[in-house]
Amino acid sequence: MKNALKTKNLSKEFGGVKAVNDLSIAIPKGNITGVIGPNGSGKTTLTNVLTGIHCIDGGVVSISEGGERKRIASHEVFQAGLTRTFQNVRLFEQITVLDNVLIATTSRHVFGSLFERDAAERLSKAEAVLNRVGLWEKREANAAELSYGQRKLLEIARALATDAETILFDEPYAGLFPEMVKLVSGIMRELREQGKTIVLIEHDMALIRELCDHVIVMDAGKLLAEGKPSEVLADKAVIEAYLGD
Amino acid sequence: MDIVPQLIVNSVIAGSLYALVAMSFNLVFGATRFFNLAHGSLAAVGGYTAFFIGDSLGASLPAAMLGGVIVAAIVGYGFEFLVFRPLRRRKASNLVLLVASLGALTALEAVIAILFTSQFRTLSFLAGTTGIVHIGTGVMTHVQVGILAAAVLVLIGSWLLLSRTSFGRAVRAVSDDEEVAKIVGINTDKIIAVVFIIGSAVAGLAGVLAGLDTGIEPRMGFSLLLKGVIAAIVGGIGSVYGGFLGAFLLGFAENFGIWYISGEWKDAIAFAILILFLLFRPQGILGKKR
Amino acid sequence: MEYLIHLAILFSIFAILAISLQLIVGFTGLLSVAHAAFYGIGAYALALLLEHTGLNFFVAILVGAVISGVAAALIGLVLSKFRDDYYALGAIGFNVIIFSILLNWQEVTRGPLGIPGIDRPELLGFTFSENIAFLLLALVFLAIVYGISEFITTSSFGRALRAIREDEEALSVFGYRTSFFKLAIFVIGAAMAAIAGGLFASYITFIDPTSFGIAESVFMLSIIIFGGLGSLRGALVGALILILLPEALRFVGFTPDIAAQMRQVVYGLLLVFLMLYRPQGVAGEYRL
Repeated sequence: MKNALKTKNLSKEFGGVKAVNDLSIAIPKGNITGVIGPNGSGKTTLTNVLTGIHCIDGGVVSISEGGERKRIASHEVFQAGLTRTFQNVRLFEQITVLDNVLIATTSRHVFGSLFERDAAERLSKAEAVLNRVGLWEKREANAAELSYGQRKLLEIARALATDAETILFDEPYAGLFPEMVKLVSGIMRELREQGKTIVLIEHDMALIRELCDHVIVMDAGKLLAEGKPSEVLADKAVIEAYLGD
Repeated sequence: MDIVPQLIVNSVIAGSLYALVAMSFNLVFGATRFFNLAHGSLAAVGGYTAFFIGDSLGASLPAAMLGGVIVAAIVGYGFEFLVFRPLRRRKASNLVLLVASLGALTALEAVIAILFTSQFRTLSFLAGTTGIVHIGTGVMTHVQVGILAAAVLVLIGSWLLLSRTSFGRAVRAVSDDEEVAKIVGINTDKIIAVVFIIGSAVAGLAGVLAGLDTGIEPRMGFSLLLKGVIAAIVGGIGSVYGGFLGAFLLGFAENFGIWYISGEWKDAIAFAILILFLLFRPQGILGKKR
Repeated sequence: MEYLIHLAILFSIFAILAISLQLIVGFTGLLSVAHAAFYGIGAYALALLLEHTGLNFFVAILVGAVISGVAAALIGLVLSKFRDDYYALGAIGFNVIIFSILLNWQEVTRGPLGIPGIDRPELLGFTFSENIAFLLLALVFLAIVYGISEFITTSSFGRALRAIREDEEALSVFGYRTSFFKLAIFVIGAAMAAIAGGLFASYITFIDPTSFGIAESVFMLSIIIFGGLGSLRGALVGALILILLPEALRFVGFTPDIAAQMRQVVYGLLLVFLMLYRPQGVAGEYRL
């Protein structure tokens, strides 16, 4: 099975603390892979490193069977077919919901974005994505005006609008009402059916069990266990890591 | 080569004056973490108050000096109380605080210009001495020796205050992390207020001394401030000792620099140094990477 | 009447400055306190080109815009390494450096003496020596600048600028090389400021460095913060009110000297009050 993402001996440290410690993992293509672990285990740091927000201190990363890279610039991420949502929602607050999504669809080049030709096409893609998360009616509101749950949905919409092959969801379910949870899970399944790869960082074990084909467990920056959800969640070491937290 | 001792003397004098501004700026920056551009105007306040007391009230040097320092401290505290604290309460960004301080600086300097006109004035009538000291082939006036002495005294005083008193410990705690300092029970508002008072007083002192040495004019604060900020960044932003170090480095760079380039380019040299440091070592020589 | 025309011309010039600064500060979030430097480069470029070459005003002003753009590209490249308040500090630094050059490079700029005798624009035999004609010219330039800015801000490029303002790092993850966008708008804004500079030089027919220092940059900032960030209309409103304001002060009976200082007091206090009580200004789309 091909891999959408691979790391080899990946390390990232902050002031002496190894947030990601010699991590070697492979994210299989076309699956939903869960990444779990107690707080501080390095899940978000891993995501940040993979998307160029933090620089790599050691080891390498390969995206979509591309070459091994020691450096990822954040703007290269999109090109490599990768996108993400942020755990601490990072929307473009003082612009509209619609603009937040359109940003993900329009030309990334200075000239291309000034003299855009296919605005109608991009608008209809934005409409489709916003309708999927139920935010089309709110398209003229500023992102800052949305409720917390709506903000998380907008994050997801923005990521969907990129049409990326691989999506990293960083705790997308936190703070969502049950109807929204069902909506998001539906989206995840649809994406998998379309052949996309999903990495899902989550704390809710029921969701992990329900959605994931494969689970990776991190603890203190290292790989603790991996495998099918049922196996991993029954693993004694995993349970201890969570209880001892 | 005869000129070198005088260049050194000039560098030391400039460095001392910048040091007063830079140390006080860094003291306040350390506690509040934003670029308070209004800090410079306090030097003008100090200088003009001293002038007013000496000229209109006919008082002597000590009274004028004291008056200048006290009024500067009060005005500085006024800024904190009326502008910066309310903004901090609202979690205003550093940018907002900077813009507000820019406004305060502009307004205050203009007020001074209205009250005293933009005419350049000198405080040397207060100095009471025109004596000089010889350092090799260089000369230094008594006033200038006083500036150097002031800078050194403030350095020592800051060191004693920051490392030997519980107040100093509290300042360092607020400097490291205001939220955590609050949690451990430090009255951060009070600490910041006192820091503003002390910092503004020293800035006022700088203004008085500059007035005694050369003179005062309403925009003097801005130029002193910019030099002080450059010195503060070069030496280590947020560090009082860094301010002292950076100030003397700047003083030497400027004065030896104009050996090769003509004197009017002093400001450009100073800012080029600022840009270089901002590019390659924004935390300064003694600063820590944040 | 002549006086009103004079005010209208000043308004047009500062409206161009406000709009161009708005693109950089209000839409992109770059706190440039260096705009007067580009205003000055444009003014001096025009004055020197008119004096030393036979270039027509309209060609010279465009050349001035290009020169300003090139300077902005270099300065912007350095400034883009800084964020937020350090950016502002760096911008102040560059403003001082440019001002220093204008003041001290006396062989070229005549330093504090300034450059007198700048010609009014001439086109196909017609000279814009009448102020009313100059006003019309200035308004045409303003309309062009406004039109270009409107085009920019309503395009996807404009959307990207706003996103940079909101969260540059997050935006880059979505594939945008934000440094290119920031540089592009900084250069465009600087070129527009140079146009205003050329107009100013030709209108007053005399320039000296004092019009292009930090105080002027702070004034321009006050205009757009007061009018409201992130809005072209806000820039116009701010320019209108803050240009007319000093004239109102004059009627209160201050002497010209005091009036000039009073203006500074008002601008300064305005910034403070805006930050405290109304950061979105009069018509702003965005608060600092």
